[in-house]
Amino acid sequence: MIGVVLGAASAWGALEIGRTNFAEQYGAWHFNRAAGSTAAGPYSRAIIARDGLLALSAREAMYFTLFADDQGRPLSESCIYELTGRDLDARWWSVTLYADDSFLAQNNDRAHSVDASRISYSADGYWRARVSPVKGDAANWISSRAARREFSLTLRVYNPQRDFRPSEQTLPRLTTLSCAGGG
Amino acid sequence: MEHLRKYVWGVLISAALVHFAIIYAVPNVLMNVAISRLSEMGLNRWQVAPRVTEQSRQIVRPSPDFSYSACTYDLARGPLVISAAPWREYWSLSLYAGNSDNFFVIDDREAHYGAEITLVQRGRPHPEGASMVVESPSARGIALIRRLAPTPEEYSAAAQVAREDVCASVASLSATDS
Repeated sequence: MIGVVLGAASAWGALEIGRTNFAEQYGAWHFNRAAGSTAAGPYSRAIIARDGLLALSAREAMYFTLFADDQGRPLSESCIYELTGRDLDARWWSVTLYADDSFLAQNNDRAHSVDASRISYSADGYWRARVSPVKGDAANWISSRAARREFSLTLRVYNPQRDFRPSEQTLPRLTTLSCAGGG
Repeated sequence: MEHLRKYVWGVLISAALVHFAIIYAVPNVLMNVAISRLSEMGLNRWQVAPRVTEQSRQIVRPSPDFSYSACTYDLARGPLVISAAPWREYWSLSLYAGNSDNFFVIDDREAHYGAEITLVQRGRPHPEGASMVVESPSARGIALIRRLAPTPEEYSAAAQVAREDVCASVASLSATDS
């Protein structure tokens, strides 16, 4: 009985730790190249099945996920963030917010994502999206209302160009603007 | 002392067995759950998902920017014809095996005017005259069409186009033709 409990606990732990530790990291973004691949190892396959079932293989789409802010703190509804980026060398991209249960946050703001076809760029060639519970004066907005703590952001990059190389410089950057209570 | 040593070894071996059994079982179990959730209207037919909202809770991490159509397939009774009608924006047809592997994908760059494949279980004979045969590593799996449709208007148009998609057994189509 102890062996069964130990085995189950260690498997759960491996899946939990593995989603960040088994992935490539670019800044705060995590990327699992084995997503959807027929060559994926058993741990990668299990992690992807749990966190991103029916993901496409990296040739078709690349999925980058961000679980923490620029200081390494878990993302929280009580903070206001700004995501800044340039256009990516791909056919289409989007950034979507998911609550800690891996589903869209339970709000009806219809602002779960920003995407390449609708985003507004600033005059300096960058786009900026506010991640916050209320829109305020943001030109691009991802609602974190009802997302509570430990939500995540997933960047989808569809049909990446052959020379697309993810890096801390090419991927969007998340900055914490403020947190309720000054945290 | 000998008794304790045997006990510790027993615990460690059973823990390792359970650990690997779970790691190997997770993708298959989750795919079975997904197949069950997506096949309320039956197997071997397309189902166009409602527009993705915060109420969408069938598959983790859905994108609100896509219109999804899913066909949960079972090749036990023979091969299937699967087709995807073209869409003005990005679209793709992808196939997932019972262990969650994405073993096939085709998109509008390769199939500008839509795609049609014949899906056969690996090791089974190919239907005579079938043009593009794809072998599935497992009898059961999921075919998924993604159509980029970020606005409600685009979703409605994509859902309309999705009515032209086909997921049907070769035998049933042959019977219709004859």
